[in-house]
Amino acid sequence: MLFFSEKSLTAWLNHLMLDRTVLAPVRGTNDLVYFQSITNSEAIFIKSQNAALSPKDWFFPRSETIMSFITKDGKTQIIPATMEKDAVIFGIRPCDARAISLIDRPFLAEPVDALYQERRNRTALVGIACVTVCQECFCTSMGSGPFDPGALDIMLTPVDSGFAVQVVTDKGKKLLEKAIIQDRELTLPKPPEVKPVPSAGVTEAMRRVFNNVYWDRVADRCIHCNICAFVCPCCYCFDVRDYKGKDRIERVRSWESCESALFTRAAGGHNPRPSKGARMRQRFAHKLLYFPEIFGELKCTGCGRCVRNCPVNIDIREIIHDVQKLARE
Amino acid sequence: MSQPIRDKARELLQTRKVDCVIGYERATDGITARPLFVYDVKDVDRLIFDRTCVHNLSRYLRDRRDRMTAIVAKPCDARGINMLLNEHQLDRQKLFIIGVVCHGVDERCWGQTDTRQQARCQWCRQHVPPVYDFLVGEKPAGEPPSAGFPDIEEFEKKSPAERRAFWEEQYRACIRCNACRHSCPGCYCQECFAENLDPTWIGIRIAPAESQIWNLVRAFHLSGRCVDCGACEQACPVNIPLMLLNRKLQKDGIEFFGFEPGLSAEAVPPFATFRKDERPGGEG
Amino acid sequence: MVTAYQPRIIGFLCNWCSYAGADLAGTSRISYPGNIRIIRVPCSARVDPLFIVKAFQYGADGVLVAGCHPGDCHYSEGNYHTRRRLALLHSFLDFTGIERERVRLEWVSASEGRRWSQVVTDFTAQVAALGPRVK
Repeated sequence: MLFFSEKSLTAWLNHLMLDRTVLAPVRGTNDLVYFQSITNSEAIFIKSQNAALSPKDWFFPRSETIMSFITKDGKTQIIPATMEKDAVIFGIRPCDARAISLIDRPFLAEPVDALYQERRNRTALVGIACVTVCQECFCTSMGSGPFDPGALDIMLTPVDSGFAVQVVTDKGKKLLEKAIIQDRELTLPKPPEVKPVPSAGVTEAMRRVFNNVYWDRVADRCIHCNICAFVCPCCYCFDVRDYKGKDRIERVRSWESCESALFTRAAGGHNPRPSKGARMRQRFAHKLLYFPEIFGELKCTGCGRCVRNCPVNIDIREIIHDVQKLARE
Repeated sequence: MSQPIRDKARELLQTRKVDCVIGYERATDGITARPLFVYDVKDVDRLIFDRTCVHNLSRYLRDRRDRMTAIVAKPCDARGINMLLNEHQLDRQKLFIIGVVCHGVDERCWGQTDTRQQARCQWCRQHVPPVYDFLVGEKPAGEPPSAGFPDIEEFEKKSPAERRAFWEEQYRACIRCNACRHSCPGCYCQECFAENLDPTWIGIRIAPAESQIWNLVRAFHLSGRCVDCGACEQACPVNIPLMLLNRKLQKDGIEFFGFEPGLSAEAVPPFATFRKDERPGGEG
Repeated sequence: MVTAYQPRIIGFLCNWCSYAGADLAGTSRISYPGNIRIIRVPCSARVDPLFIVKAFQYGADGVLVAGCHPGDCHYSEGNYHTRRRLALLHSFLDFTGIERERVRLEWVSASEGRRWSQVVTDFTAQVAALGPRVK
């Protein structure tokens, strides 16, 4: 089996940092772990729980100027946003990687989001298997698993004094060209147990409970903040506005959430989703009904962030349980 | 604590005195709590009350202003109710307040049993709700000690440069999820200044400069109104110490104007009044 | 050639007293530093602390709010409210690292042209001594 010692892994990362942006989990503000660009591999912090925010921020930033317009001498020039260097995301978990491949489905379909596509093409994902899981993880019920290499370029599994290396894609193979990797007899750890959630058939169940008053009841306690959509690695709703800068107009795209009361309000004041229950239902319908209908997969990877962070404990696992139960009635 | 609340809720629903009882139940981690809306007597036994019940439920009342509602209220939550009554946002006749005597609540940490008490609780002087229709718990004997704002005084020892650096790091962390606004009973504006388009005060950009305006102005719009319930800080997913901002304004509200929000529904808030001869500071 | 740092100052002046006072300074040819950019408001109470924070975001190094003397407000009571608001804002901004010396509330009447120029000269020097707000 291919083996990276800690020392050679560090050397490889340092080498990558010379001409690439390397993102890794680091300890950030208020003691939370975030994926940030590093210049020193000492900063990497991989503890058992996943980072507070997923690395979807790299491909789909929370806020960015997607293009600028300058008008000079009567001519308008469009300045697109560009990506400086190739990138590597190190330490990404299988759930977060799968989530990015789910965001690919709408963003890389025609018309392609060119910015997103460039970032995807020029970024490699080096994942780390989860040898422990949080109580709120449920990746195995959402098409992934703690050791799932599916959406990665390279998969690292922690073993004694290093990592077992699985090369998943050609991009990953190329990335490892300068790496010092040994061939060794290795005993891989057993994947940890992940609590299951009854996701099989949930799409059909959602269809059946679409008009149920259940959604209003759940929505009673929802405070319609943006937390669930913002911490979710596969949510991708956004808003686009133009702003006047000093000498140019900037088109800014920022994260938004279908939960917020103004999300579907149109100019003129009409809002097709005015009630709390309608918005609540929308979130879960998008994840469990509409996305699977269009793309064939549930739009959730079981990372558990929404469960951990929702101030009023709207728990998608509970929702799935309830929806399945109600559909049977 | 839980049983008297359940019994009262049962009575109120059975006699149709209210359509709904807003209280707390256990969350799915088996440890923390979450809000519960009880419409039917059969759900009454889900109600609980303990140190994990941190949410300020009064923020739900403004959507139910025309319907009879019972609410479980800690002292800080009841202050929120008073503040809303003061600002004519609620009809007292439509409320049945199940007040709870409180000796502090804990930090809300999902899935963790070893959490500590919320900092604000150690300095809180309201152990009995200032308004209630039914009280649960024993009224403590004597007055709680006057504890002031040691957290603010401690922070004020930092130099201006240190304070600036501290807050700039927090503005960078803010993701503008607005959970602070939505968990707050005082933030009920139909259109928040942050959503204003003409002029665009903040806009949609999520970046430190905009987040600074968001956090500072939201806190300031709550000055003289914030009831120290801590819901904003508990909701914040990136752990911004919002209570430092809010409590600074509370401290100044007491020092400059002798006013503590929410203690009475009839008091005149500090920005709705003035004294001609006062010198609250800040003049050239 | 190195030029000395010139602070950028925003002034919110009430229409009835301070703006008239500033105008009088102008017509009397009393000079004062040109760092200040004046925004006329109907009353000093129109100044939402939001404006002040926004001015700092846009690059102001200092903000001056000027109104009628207490008791002389054109709208009777506006400046009493301004006084309370600015007192709290001073303390609050200072807490967040924006020094209290960067915000000033002054009462300038329509006849106080000379006083206006003194206020601006003094405030400009005070803000200059603090250096730029964003280093």
